[in-house]
Amino acid sequence: MSWLRWIAAILVCGWLGQYALAMLVPHLVMERLYQKFAEARAPNQMNLTPRPDENSRWVVRPSPDLLYASCLYNLEQGPVVISAPVPERYWSMQFYQMNTDNFAGISNQREQRFRVGTRVEVTLIGPDADPAEYSGEVIQSPTTRGVMLLRASGIGDASQSQAAIAGSRCAPL
Amino acid sequence: MLLSLAFSALLLLVTIKAGLGNSFLKNGDWRTSESIGAADADVIVRAVVAIGGLLASTREDSMYYTISSVAGEPLNLDCRYRIEGGDYDANWWSITAYGWDYFLIPNEQKRYSFNNDNINRGEDGRWVIHVSATEENGNWLPVGPSGAPASEKSTHHDFDLLLRLYTPGEAYLQNPGSAPLPVVTQEGCS
Repeated sequence: MSWLRWIAAILVCGWLGQYALAMLVPHLVMERLYQKFAEARAPNQMNLTPRPDENSRWVVRPSPDLLYASCLYNLEQGPVVISAPVPERYWSMQFYQMNTDNFAGISNQREQRFRVGTRVEVTLIGPDADPAEYSGEVIQSPTTRGVMLLRASGIGDASQSQAAIAGSRCAPL
Repeated sequence: MLLSLAFSALLLLVTIKAGLGNSFLKNGDWRTSESIGAADADVIVRAVVAIGGLLASTREDSMYYTISSVAGEPLNLDCRYRIEGGDYDANWWSITAYGWDYFLIPNEQKRYSFNNDNINRGEDGRWVIHVSATEENGNWLPVGPSGAPASEKSTHHDFDLLLRLYTPGEAYLQNPGSAPLPVVTQEGCS
């Protein structure tokens, strides 16, 4: 009967183990993306992305209907400031921590329509920083590293969205 | 220990291969989740999204519905499909075809999607998209072999379709499993 116990133990541990492995997956995928980006460009800079096509293979499921810019951030040396003009059509600035969670975001949609025509300026601070020490719009990242992704509608006349993406900046404070 | 680990990896692989499977909501043949990108996503949703939808936004910003099979049959390059729809309660929408490798499908037309702005509609505002590897009249969304080597393919489907709804309305936020969506049918296979 002891072999039955062994098989049962293996099955139970295996069943539970899939969840432990699943918890690792987002961290591994994000780390790989971060390293891949970092090889091409130093952190804390805005990276403008060409309109996605079949050759766009940095991140899965790129949308051909969106214009993108990204900033791979590392807050070890202090905050970074991200600034961007806000166009009329759909636009958003999303923040992702290293477990892939979209932990914060701002947009020009719903109650945030007031941002249209303005220039957003966000101070992104690390997990150990004190938000009270900074003025203006402050976002606190739960992890020291992460990714900020700008999306702007590329459908129809995209000239305003293109100008907004091109005029976006990311730099250390 | 090693056997348990191998069993764990196998179970996780099967789950991820199934894609938007049991942890996700069904709306007809479409699949979605209310917790994509969110901190309350369970470990399986987060793992599947990390592999097949990295950097997705939370649902207040955009909702994502994918379809990889119609009436139980995986989407296949030998078949033709019809997507029929109208307008949806969202700021804008798009339907994009992706290869089994999750990237845009190479095609001569460089056409990867249709959206509410570039789609040709009937007089009643409704539209039809034809998805196939061979040319069709009207709104033709070309599909073909994915960019990654075929030897790496591990899915049953050859491609899938992703519906994005940006700034979705209450129907999608409150009832994502029953809110109106385009209807996808298979028109025939060669």
